[in-house]
Amino acid sequence: MGISMVQAILLGLFACLASLPGMGGTTVGNYTLGRPLVGGLVVGIILGDIQTGIIVGAAIQLVYIALVTPGGTVSADVRAVTYIGIPLAILAIRAQGLDPNSEAAAGLAASLGAAVGTLGTVLFYGTATLNLVWQGIGWKAMDGGNWATIKKTIPMVDFVLPWISHIAFSFIPTVVICLAGESMVGLMKDYLPMDGVAMKTLFTVGSLLPAVGVAILCKQVVQKPLDWVTFGFGFTLAAVMGCNLIASALIAVFFALINFKVEQLKLARPAVAAAGAAFDDEEEEDI
Amino acid sequence: MAEKKVSAGARQSAFLRWIYGNLTCFSQEHMQTFGYLAAMLPVVDELYDNDEDKVKALSTYRTFFNTEPQIGTMVVGLTVGLEEARANGEPLDDDTINGIRAGLMGPLAGLGDSIIVGTFIPILLGIALGLSNGGSVLGPLFYVVVWNLAMYFGMKFAFDQGYELGGSAVEALVGPQSAALRDSIVMVGTMVIGAVAATWINITTALSFQFSADSGLVLQDTLDSIYPKALNFFFVWLCWYLMTKRKMSPTVVMGLLVVVALVGVLLGFFDPGLSY
Repeated sequence: MGISMVQAILLGLFACLASLPGMGGTTVGNYTLGRPLVGGLVVGIILGDIQTGIIVGAAIQLVYIALVTPGGTVSADVRAVTYIGIPLAILAIRAQGLDPNSEAAAGLAASLGAAVGTLGTVLFYGTATLNLVWQGIGWKAMDGGNWATIKKTIPMVDFVLPWISHIAFSFIPTVVICLAGESMVGLMKDYLPMDGVAMKTLFTVGSLLPAVGVAILCKQVVQKPLDWVTFGFGFTLAAVMGCNLIASALIAVFFALINFKVEQLKLARPAVAAAGAAFDDEEEEDI
Repeated sequence: MAEKKVSAGARQSAFLRWIYGNLTCFSQEHMQTFGYLAAMLPVVDELYDNDEDKVKALSTYRTFFNTEPQIGTMVVGLTVGLEEARANGEPLDDDTINGIRAGLMGPLAGLGDSIIVGTFIPILLGIALGLSNGGSVLGPLFYVVVWNLAMYFGMKFAFDQGYELGGSAVEALVGPQSAALRDSIVMVGTMVIGAVAATWINITTALSFQFSADSGLVLQDTLDSIYPKALNFFFVWLCWYLMTKRKMSPTVVMGLLVVVALVGVLLGFFDPGLSY
């Protein structure tokens, strides 16, 4: 038994809501509807087999129980895992006549989910890249400096236009793949091999792009060449000394505190005696 | 002139816009920037009287923003408080506000990723998986209800706390020692950004040379022995250089990176090494 058009459309809509930059928002979309366990319930309701849906969802959920996406680095795409992987796994389990509760069914679901999830990262980059077009519209409005236009455009850019990205990269792929069934997965693997130039370039670009975002930040804080030493200090803490961001921030605050005290003393320089006294006081407090 | 205050309605509007829209228009380049702009819009609209000031105030939040968006709700609340103070004539400049945002987003992302996404969600899901044994709907329902209630009230709390803090933090930010403090905050921001560059970016090369059967050179290992993650540093610097010294727009730089990636892949310098 396959998936009907209506069912595929419903799955496609949920894929739009649930993906990482999703139209359901982060909390309700990505972290609720995008979790395979919850998705299992949703897919089960859509396909009319809630029990199998949840069993398959739970099997896939185990693989992605701690799916953290630091800084938008995506190793697996939730919309694909949940709204393409689960329906395909249910189809495959039915087609092979497996007992949904069996270990074989769980293994099949997990591997199918993982394959689709890796494939789905293409959808992630597609959505994020197409969103650049809408953001371009937003920047243009900001540059124009007309408040009435800005007031209309910014919410439009953030809440409405990304739907177009999702129709292209969530809705259509989900509908097409779900209708085509599990043979589609193999087909895409053949046409877009991971060791081909297209996919390699895609993933390389994905790894290079965050550098642009960080560089925009640097533009803000790096005013003189020596500021790169400050940047390099933080970089070294994380890259060489293995500090995580919280530890790095704590060390940064410590140095900033020293800097603050030095600057304070500089301010107090005209009254050297007073500054000296204040310095003594602080020394005593420290002890 | 009466003291300006952001109404409860505008605060709630900013809060809801942020918790819904923090990632809806996500791109690799600007990440949560547009969610931030959309959230600050009703606040700015209410605080300032003429359009010119509104545009100027909102433009502050054009700067790149990315953190764990749920815990990051606090930063949005904080800037609402700061913006309110600024509208009342406190001399807060854009650099100060953005220094605070940049200084907070890294550590908060670390906290949020480890506490919310790395700990809280797995615990909830663990319980839910136990409840869903044999395909019971109890498991998913448990997760949906507990997670969403906890997050809504948690984020509301973070937002309100941030807002309160913004009002009081401003005293320290504009006092006589403000220049020293600002300098120090920017210093924290710069270091954290450095740490972010080392943590969130992952650029590696796959290039290796085989001279003979038992001698060869793996470029990544050599680079790591010189300075770990040197390629991250280099690419951030390169993008910064192109944008500030060569006045390229971020979009042009991104286009350039696509070319770099393609050439790099063809030369064998880049290879993500993934397989299905």
